[in-house]
Amino acid sequence: MSERALAERFNEVVLPHLGDALALARWLTGNAADAEDVVQDACIKAHAGISGYAGGNARAWLLTIVRNTSYTWMARNRPRAMMAVGDLGDLDDMAAAHGTSMPDEDGPEASLIAKADTAALEAAIAALPQPFRETLVLRDINGMSYREISAMLAVPIGTVMSRLARARGLLASELGRAS
Amino acid sequence: MTHDDGLPNDPEGIRLMIHALVDGELDAAAALAVERRIAADPRLAAEHARIVALQGAVSRLPRPDVSDAFRARIASIGMAGTERQAPVEAEPQRGTPSTLPGLIAGAGGGQRREAGTRPSQARPSPRARRFGSFDWRAMAASIMISAVLASGATQWVMQSGVDDGFAAAVASGHRRSLLAASPIDIVSSDRHTVKPWLDARIGVSPPAPDLAQDGYALIGGRVEVISGRPVPALVYRHREHLITLVAEPQQGGKTTQPDDLSSGGFSMVHWSDGAFSYWAISDMERPELDDFVARFRKAAV
Repeated sequence: MSERALAERFNEVVLPHLGDALALARWLTGNAADAEDVVQDACIKAHAGISGYAGGNARAWLLTIVRNTSYTWMARNRPRAMMAVGDLGDLDDMAAAHGTSMPDEDGPEASLIAKADTAALEAAIAALPQPFRETLVLRDINGMSYREISAMLAVPIGTVMSRLARARGLLASELGRAS
Repeated sequence: MTHDDGLPNDPEGIRLMIHALVDGELDAAAALAVERRIAADPRLAAEHARIVALQGAVSRLPRPDVSDAFRARIASIGMAGTERQAPVEAEPQRGTPSTLPGLIAGAGGGQRREAGTRPSQARPSPRARRFGSFDWRAMAASIMISAVLASGATQWVMQSGVDDGFAAAVASGHRRSLLAASPIDIVSSDRHTVKPWLDARIGVSPPAPDLAQDGYALIGGRVEVISGRPVPALVYRHREHLITLVAEPQQGGKTTQPDDLSSGGFSMVHWSDGAFSYWAISDMERPELDDFVARFRKAAV
């Protein structure tokens, strides 16, 4: 493939998904300014690897690179934040032990959740443990399917489901408490 | 309280199913079953409402703007390549493993890129713009239908003997996919989504008319691997029944009339149109499947 064709392919594969890439990086790094840096790094990697893009879902391909780049970037620039992540296995065990979605008592009223203000919701998402947060963001902000998320994170679909349910359960009770 | 609808009976299991329902990950049959459970149980209804409310709130969060300056910066990365990048291995299909390594035909290349490309950044809500996601397939649907199918298909394979290996493979593939909780890899009623998806995966896609007006809704597609080869399969729904239509590409094929291969309470019809050899399989009654086949053949011309 000619260089020109590769450049065109880069434009076709990467540029349409910049909004999704920024949204993901924003939630993985914690702020919008860092997100631009991360996405730029990711796009450089995507460009270097564009000849290996085998077709199919361009968005999932790009977001996978963005995710990996986000964690590399965090490890380099925010080592403290990364330390707080803890061990993923523990979290999944915890999720399993406590039930995935909700504690035994019922969650808050749906109307309460619907009324939650943007700042409270953003704070609640930011406070989620990282594996729960990334699963929630990939699903509810990036709109990826369980299968796509499972492939991206290299975890079974059941784990995606329990993390997602757990993330939503934590958000719901947080919003219920805040109001 | 127990149910015989095939859904998990433990509270955690059913909660996960409600999440899957809200996320559009269930097929029609499973969605229906979960909705029935929700209707019958106020606690589940409250949980469902919470999930819907939360997902709505999250999807309304402001998304970062893609500024023109940023877009230009990224676009310049692409441009830079035309000047400095050494010619890389010019084999576009190498590298990132695809779903079916080694099976990507060159023919699919052109369409594939178009399929993955969106011209503009502006897109609606996250749910609406999912690029024909690989749907995780209704645990419940599988459990529900497989109870019937698993026995039916086993019987079918055994009774029909081995005179037609392909038909047996279609049947067992059907059964296996249901058990594996993935009868559909792409859920979409839009053939303009299903066809490019199949093209992108295996480089071929059969005609995929939407027969919803005839009572047979196209609900998605998947890739079957039969005799070591990937073949496209379409999934249609007729009331509560699923119809799998496997379409094996033919090389200079002949045209054959529908042939009844039904057995063991399981309907199967086989025919060829020269380009594809079709296998329709379902737990519907034979006359209904014949009706489907007739309508499909008429629409697929």
